[in-house]
Amino acid sequence: MTDHLELPAALRDAIVSHARAESPREACGLVAGRDGRATRVIRCVNAHPAAVTRYTIDPREQLRAFRDMEANGEDLVAIYHSHPATQAYPSPTDRAESHYPEAIYVLVSLRDAAPDVRAFRIRDGWVREVDLA
Amino acid sequence: MAVTVRLPGVLRDAVGGDSKIEASGATLADVFADIDRRHPGFRSRVLDDRGTIRSYVNVYVGDIDARDSGGLGTAVPEGSEVMVIPAMAGG
Repeated sequence: MTDHLELPAALRDAIVSHARAESPREACGLVAGRDGRATRVIRCVNAHPAAVTRYTIDPREQLRAFRDMEANGEDLVAIYHSHPATQAYPSPTDRAESHYPEAIYVLVSLRDAAPDVRAFRIRDGWVREVDLA
Repeated sequence: MAVTVRLPGVLRDAVGGDSKIEASGATLADVFADIDRRHPGFRSRVLDDRGTIRSYVNVYVGDIDARDSGGLGTAVPEGSEVMVIPAMAGG
């Protein structure tokens, strides 16, 4: 497992743009890549009925994204979501509902004027921040 | 009947780390039982105490959502792909 995520500026900007467009709802999506290198952002629909404070990636979109990534020879590199009004750190719900130890969880906070983007591993309820370059 | 089962996310841990395995069975129940024989405990990761698919897991046979087509009784045709996908969710 890599302990850092290289996220090109264009992809970081795409994630922040998505977060801003969805605010005050949480935005969510995936980052696909090859050999651990992020290459593409896949915006997804937040299907949770309480989307201001929760997210669930639409399961059909998730299925399609997995198929597309396999067809393209890509891997799941990261799962991102936004916190429109709180810090860029995994909430208790994020920890409880994390089922992808192979992916890096990218969080975007829009709480302050400048968006804050951070990356984490989440597994069995624990959180470890990873370097984001 | 041979099928391919894909297990992204944490469920790969339940089958020894592979995200794609071969299994056999005519229905989803048969397929999960077959995997559980080789990887004891798999069923309890995917099914709850009442034997229904856990709420955080979505299961597809091809493009068919198992919840919409009979749950564990969903037919699994020879050569089909079963995807067992944990939800991506949080707060």
